[in-house]
Amino acid sequence: MEQPMQTEMWKAESLEELIRILHRIFAEDKVSVEEVQALMESYESNPEEWLQYAKFDQYRYTRNLVDSGNGKFNLMILCWGEGHGSSIHDHTDSHCFMKILQGNLKETLFEWPEKKGNDEMIKKSERILRENQCAYINDSIGLHRVENISHTETAVSLHLYSPPFDSCNTFDQRTGHKHKVKMTFYSEFGERTHC
Amino acid sequence: LPAGLSQWFPALEVLDVSGTGLAELGAELLALPCLHTLLAKNNRLGGPGSLPKGLGQAALGRSLRVLNLSGNRFLEMPPALFALRGLRSLSLGGNRLHGIPPDIQELRSLEFLYLGGNFITSIPPELANLPSLSYLVLCDNKIQSIPPQLAQLHSLRSLSLHNNLLTYLPREILNLVHLEELSLRGNPLVVRFVRDLTYNPPSLLELAGRTIKTRNVGYAPSDLPESLVRYLSLASNCPNPKCGGVYFDSCVRQIKFVDFCGKYRLPLMHYLCSPECSSPCSSASQSSTSQSESDSEDEASVAARRMQKVLLG
Repeated sequence: MEQPMQTEMWKAESLEELIRILHRIFAEDKVSVEEVQALMESYESNPEEWLQYAKFDQYRYTRNLVDSGNGKFNLMILCWGEGHGSSIHDHTDSHCFMKILQGNLKETLFEWPEKKGNDEMIKKSERILRENQCAYINDSIGLHRVENISHTETAVSLHLYSPPFDSCNTFDQRTGHKHKVKMTFYSEFGERTHC
Repeated sequence: LPAGLSQWFPALEVLDVSGTGLAELGAELLALPCLHTLLAKNNRLGGPGSLPKGLGQAALGRSLRVLNLSGNRFLEMPPALFALRGLRSLSLGGNRLHGIPPDIQELRSLEFLYLGGNFITSIPPELANLPSLSYLVLCDNKIQSIPPQLAQLHSLRSLSLHNNLLTYLPREILNLVHLEELSLRGNPLVVRFVRDLTYNPPSLLELAGRTIKTRNVGYAPSDLPESLVRYLSLASNCPNPKCGGVYFDSCVRQIKFVDFCGKYRLPLMHYLCSPECSSPCSSASQSSTSQSESDSEDEASVAARRMQKVLLG
């Protein structure tokens, strides 16, 4: 992705409009990370618009596909129960945008471990993402763990991955060892999948 | 809460009084026979009288299935809670609990128990007497050890233990047949274990007890003082398959590192009856590294197949 000559400042008034503008942006050859991040952040979360995708699971966080972006990107909603968190993972050479729709999520950034290492992974930074904030990460920035650390509130986030990917590596924080995992959808376009 | 609540809304099924600043849930709730879900998170509950008196005998005591008291100020689980025999889901996340009372076993129907974000230091073995428990959250507490009895929670599917003070797990954890999710990150799990060199020889009482058990010496309760009958019932089996012996108080602790799915090495504590014993399939070696080398392949591969997601790192 490169900076285009003119940076458009979009404002998405609804989730539907956000998706429409994303399709337009990704139809171009060049897409700007800043443009997408600003667009995602401009959308003010309205639960009525995404409640149909927000399917929670008692035991762990869920991934709910919203739009498959004509093959250029995947847009999905993740639902995090109290205390739910992800493992440390990479993003398979893709761009990852994460916008908070409800609640808060803690993002902890990690350095890539040494190839032949066997040591505790190094934490780079951590932050709490608030409602409507949009974070960005890719493999050159590092790895991260995302978790809902609240014991009283659930959290919902909107994720855009480009290009789409269905597998990634998870990392053991104590050793840096990685393990490839396949990612699945709990629901697609509002319908529960059964895998 | 308004005094006429149960008269105006006798068919009330779900009540959410979260974030209203309530310091107590009053008797107005008791006569709501259809109320199955009560959400009262982020309030000022926690003092005496937080739950209404007579809860056990009231209609509410039988109807309640879901109770959310997270984000309040409970220092201990209120005794009135244990009268809720039909309760399926209980959340006391983000309170100030220092422990879990053995009475927890009274909540026979409990399937979901959320106790994350408290100051709990230990888990009573009675927690294992909840036959339907499938989701247990104990993250963000101060727990130092897991009682081996927890392996009796046959229905457990998800166990959250991250951010505690655990250095090892009991080997019995491998017996949790339905466990699919286990989170252990943020615990000071040992990566190397120095075998207990201070082994205190067994007492005469222990030696006599061991002999009675291993030689199958018959006895009736009338033959022995009650205290000895009780002592004999506490025998634990040595996991060494070549031993077949038992131990009471005198045992050797040994940690074996078990591989999960080839990615995580979990330190599992084994109790053996003597320094000559060794846990299944390992060679009788002194150093901990060679023990980890000769891990029980059967144990690990069976557990690995079951535990699809061990969140350690």
